[in-house]
Amino acid sequence: MNRKSQIQIGETIAVLFVFFILIVVGLIFYARVIKGNIEIEGEESSQLRSVGIAQRVMFLPEVQCSEDNNIIDNCIDTLKLESAQSLMRENEVYYYDLFEFGNISVAQIYPNEVKWSLYLRKADNLRNKIVTNVPVSLYNPVTRRHGFGVLTIETFSK
Amino acid sequence: MEILGLAIVVVLVLVATIFVVRFLVLKTPADYRKGFVSSEIASNTLNTFLRTAAKDCSQLTMTELFQDCAQARGIICDNGQDSCRYAESTARNVFEGTLDKWNMKYEFLAYTDIKQPLVKIGNLCKAEKRSKLFPIPISTATMFVKLDICG
Repeated sequence: MNRKSQIQIGETIAVLFVFFILIVVGLIFYARVIKGNIEIEGEESSQLRSVGIAQRVMFLPEVQCSEDNNIIDNCIDTLKLESAQSLMRENEVYYYDLFEFGNISVAQIYPNEVKWSLYLRKADNLRNKIVTNVPVSLYNPVTRRHGFGVLTIETFSK
Repeated sequence: MEILGLAIVVVLVLVATIFVVRFLVLKTPADYRKGFVSSEIASNTLNTFLRTAAKDCSQLTMTELFQDCAQARGIICDNGQDSCRYAESTARNVFEGTLDKWNMKYEFLAYTDIKQPLVKIGNLCKAEKRSKLFPIPISTATMFVKLDICG
């Protein structure tokens, strides 16, 4: 083999080497971009799930106020709330389908501070937490007065 | 000639890289929750607050206290405050436990004439805001209670 042919083979090997390096770099870059996009989509889906659960809790018939069979929006009946606590504990599986892994609590801020824990289901491998606070009216049907409260919905995800 | 080909390839690779970085790598997650939360908070806070019964004022609602505040100011609560001051101090107390605690900027106003508000809490929103306005009927005109949540 003459010297010119050897140089040409060397050139071809060098070009192929650079080509494969570029392919590998491209694949690594592409994999990282795809991984980033999956994380973003996961974050967006957690947010949507959290909003969905918050809306489910806000319109839960077990705690919603009503007067003469008319539902009062954005209002929680404190007597219903007390019985809903035990109801949710007794029917964990049913409420898990609605709220998944999360923590739902209600806190009265005015006229006095009171706190109710409505639902709690945790798992050790869930690290991300999204907290949604919704101000709600807390109605006492005995005194027929409204207090100011906050419904806190924490949703857990991986 | 070969150098020109190489230069074109390099330029194409650069353009592709810039495109990928711009549209894929720098893509931030859409904040669906933020819009829901701020609009719910503006509306629910005001709605709930106006329904709330005052503990030291014959259990009158905040709406009734604001109505008196805009008219005769004849109501004096058990702690000696008139309707305007009582409604204002209750609003401050409630917002401290909610909006301030959640690090939210806001402006709360109760007025018949916006230039001379009866109650003003918080500061004017300088940029984007979610706003809720509640009209309250009074004998002479209409008064308004407004809550702006900034951001």
